[in-house]
Amino acid sequence: MITSKKGVRDPEGEAIHRQLVLKKGYDRVKGVRAGKYLLFLVDEEDPQRALSYVRELCEKLRIYNPVVHDIEVRIHS
Amino acid sequence: MPLSREDIEEIRRILGREPTREELAMFEAQWSEHCSYRSSRRLLKLLPEEGSRTRVLVGRGRDAPAIELFPGVAIVFKIESHNHPSAVDPYNGAATGIGGIVRDVLTLGAKPIALLDMLYLGDPRNPHANWIARGVVKGISDYGNRIGVPTVAGDTWFDPAFNKQPLVNVACVGIVDTKTLASVLRGPREGDLVLIAGNPTGRDGLLGSSFASKPLEDSDSDIAAVQVGDPLMEKLLIDAVTEIARRGLAKLIKDLGGGGLTTAISEVAADHNLGVELHLDALHTRQELTPLEILVSESQERMLLVVDESSLPEVEKILRRYEVPYSIIGRFDGSGRIRAFFKGRLVADVPARELAKPRTLYREARPPIEALKGIAPPPPVREPEDLAKAALKVLSSPNIASKRWIYEQYDHEVGIRTVLKPGYGDAAVLRLLDGSGRGLAVKGDANPRYTSLNPFSGAANSVAECFRNLVATGAQPLAIVDEINAGNPEKPHHYWFFDQMVKGVAWMASELDLPVVGGKVSFYNEDASGRQVKPTATIVGVGRIDNVERALPACFSQPRNLIAIVGVTYPELGGSEYLYAVHGIEAGEVPRPRPASELRAASLVLDLASRGAIASAHDIGSGGLATAILEACVCSGLGASVDLDMVPSRGIERLDQLLFSETQARYIIEVPREALPTLERLARERGARVAVIGEVRDSGEVELRSGGKRIASIGLEEAREAYESSLPRALEW
Amino acid sequence: MWHRDFDPRGWDAVIIPGGFSYGDWLRAGAIAARTEAVERIADCIDRGIPVLGICNGFQILVEAGLLPGALLPNESGRFVCRWVKLVARDPRGPWLKLVEDGQVLTMPVAHAEGRYVAADPRGIEGAPRIHYLDGWNPNGSEMNIAGVGSRNGEVLGLMPHPERAVDRVLCPRGFEPSGRIIFESLASSLREGW
Repeated sequence: MITSKKGVRDPEGEAIHRQLVLKKGYDRVKGVRAGKYLLFLVDEEDPQRALSYVRELCEKLRIYNPVVHDIEVRIHS
Repeated sequence: MPLSREDIEEIRRILGREPTREELAMFEAQWSEHCSYRSSRRLLKLLPEEGSRTRVLVGRGRDAPAIELFPGVAIVFKIESHNHPSAVDPYNGAATGIGGIVRDVLTLGAKPIALLDMLYLGDPRNPHANWIARGVVKGISDYGNRIGVPTVAGDTWFDPAFNKQPLVNVACVGIVDTKTLASVLRGPREGDLVLIAGNPTGRDGLLGSSFASKPLEDSDSDIAAVQVGDPLMEKLLIDAVTEIARRGLAKLIKDLGGGGLTTAISEVAADHNLGVELHLDALHTRQELTPLEILVSESQERMLLVVDESSLPEVEKILRRYEVPYSIIGRFDGSGRIRAFFKGRLVADVPARELAKPRTLYREARPPIEALKGIAPPPPVREPEDLAKAALKVLSSPNIASKRWIYEQYDHEVGIRTVLKPGYGDAAVLRLLDGSGRGLAVKGDANPRYTSLNPFSGAANSVAECFRNLVATGAQPLAIVDEINAGNPEKPHHYWFFDQMVKGVAWMASELDLPVVGGKVSFYNEDASGRQVKPTATIVGVGRIDNVERALPACFSQPRNLIAIVGVTYPELGGSEYLYAVHGIEAGEVPRPRPASELRAASLVLDLASRGAIASAHDIGSGGLATAILEACVCSGLGASVDLDMVPSRGIERLDQLLFSETQARYIIEVPREALPTLERLARERGARVAVIGEVRDSGEVELRSGGKRIASIGLEEAREAYESSLPRALEW
Repeated sequence: MWHRDFDPRGWDAVIIPGGFSYGDWLRAGAIAARTEAVERIADCIDRGIPVLGICNGFQILVEAGLLPGALLPNESGRFVCRWVKLVARDPRGPWLKLVEDGQVLTMPVAHAEGRYVAADPRGIEGAPRIHYLDGWNPNGSEMNIAGVGSRNGEVLGLMPHPERAVDRVLCPRGFEPSGRIIFESLASSLREGW
């Protein structure tokens, strides 16, 4: 999951929050953050190794821009 | 750039006491190179501010200049660089560059009608440079498209020198009636209100301008300077601000750009001999901010409007209608001081004039050893046996090849003004929407290789190239703006390039009678190891077209039409694309700037165009004559036969010199047979050298002849493939 | 007109133009489709008032469920601005009244999310359609779909921009200002019915 770092603005999330969610009355939603979701199918038995494998490729291939983005890598299933 | 010890002494002297933290931050923001031109001001005075053909309505010194296009119709245009932000975050860096330049144009009440992007990028085969290139183009595409302003022209160059630090120069063109323009030039009076409209201010982009005024470092601390563009707010600002201006409700409009609130307010107050009382806590903010943060935050999509009390209700109505957040944070007074309060406490009290105009820094300029590369003739090279192959090699160089991969990602048609679109002409041609058929041409140009080899001649040639590109569409060039991208001004070996580039622009602009109505300077374009990128002088020009239906494409139009060349060809291969792409050499004297020949050639082309005596025209630039002919053929699908012995030349010894020389002041023109007598008569009258060198054919090939025989033939399909597929292949892998 | 000021009464036809409503965020047209203005346009459709959606207007109509299918990001993953060649099939209704079946039209496209997917191809069978000619599909649309209408043709959505193909001076070499016929059709329809 790639999201903007805390402190970096997220106009997409803000627009969805302000223009859609709040305007339609869902005012218990206090914020929306937009991001990108990539699912990697990895041929690997050990979950920890799969995680570090994907984390490494995300950094090396600049799947995200570490200057502005955070990533979260987790096992989906 | 932190304040120097001398600066701090100076501030103590100005204030007569120790500065507060807020005051120090304000001086630091405003006295940064980016905001106050401390290192460049002396030299920039060399640039001509007027031209005999041009009515300059607003000159340098405002957020954007304005010139008269037609009586009652003004064009506002401006250039800006976003080099450092684009190196750190290509996508947002380029996007916010577009946002900033559009707001500069809005400050004169103008409707933005065109964007240009001049991109000097790294080697697309280098992974990091490739990532930057794609991010920059996507950023411009996403932002420009979403605000509904077409990106109609530009310039693109690839060079390993830009692998880490690209140059992202963007320009915007706006249109405004002179009545609206006059209303936003009224300026503030005592008692007028300071209104800030747009995005809430946040901690994002703190001290971004000082960030642009220092070399790039590999560190995470740059993150506070990264700004994210919000095109939705920008679009609302465009609609709201143009409406406020059109209705005469604003007395002055200013962008909150580099230096944030501090710069905007101090410049307005200083320019009008006024003071201002600000209540910082009245500003709408994204989060709890300290007064210091409010003063120097560079949050995007914010503008300052000066409004008098009586216009306020109408202005508020318009802002509310477009859902643009705003706040009224202060009032002008006669004190000459900027006094900022936060929750009733006075946090800053500085004289506006001294804050706005720091003392000029004297910088030493000294040519480096590598400048010798550009003053010797290029090393001898072997003439290629297969000239057709060499021509294709040059045509497929990413610097020459079609930029379709880039410009198709930009909406270049929105607004239904774009008559000559990217890929069809040497410059973009836009029409006015008043039904008069009148219009304008715009183009941006630079050649980093020329300016790195010879900054004076290279910069002069950029001006000439831009001039020719406008003329080739049939437009009368009116004015230019410049962006000088240089290294570290504290290093004499870097500063020398800056010094020479400014002088080169100033000289050629004066010779061509083109006022330099505005511009920007970008320093510290060096990588972490202190190596400067290729110093580059980017020029954007605007020209007038009386009848857009007569605008000239750069593509051949009709078989059997004659092909003529305007100008004389000299053996000038130094710094050429041919030497680089075919022989791997970047050296030698760059082509000599030839202002007198430029003027003669241009007056001939424009005269022919106004009589409808030419069907197309194409400037001969990078890649020389061979490239110009191949481009004119590829974009039309028509072939040509050219006799190289007919090309007027001097000192040429070999065919590769004739085909690939980048001698200035030359054009390829396409002339219907019946117009030949007109061409010959006008050429005599104007004293311009012209020769018919061949004809357009529906032959599917470009045939080159010399000595009575065919010396090379290039199939159109092969040429098209080389021209069209090179860039996508280089960028997508 | 500004969307908040839109009063559906008193109009003979409605055009939702192109643009990037709400920055195209979430999905192109997704946020605009939930606005009151679009609810009012749905009322217009119920009353038989012709509605045309161009580009973002088409995306909004699809997102609002007023036309069938969905518009996904282009196959290339990139925005694309270029002139294309089109062919009309089963033209009818106020917007295509003067267009003949099989007529070739040329117009520019300019969009990032124009890849049409018909959840159920039967949904558009027999409905008026505009297809990209073979070789001119810029986005990977199913069945080369560039535009679809409601069965009676009163509602039409299309990704290409007819309004940018009205004046010859704006047409590049080899293309015609055939967007005109859409507006001429409407003019004729409003005068003489469709």
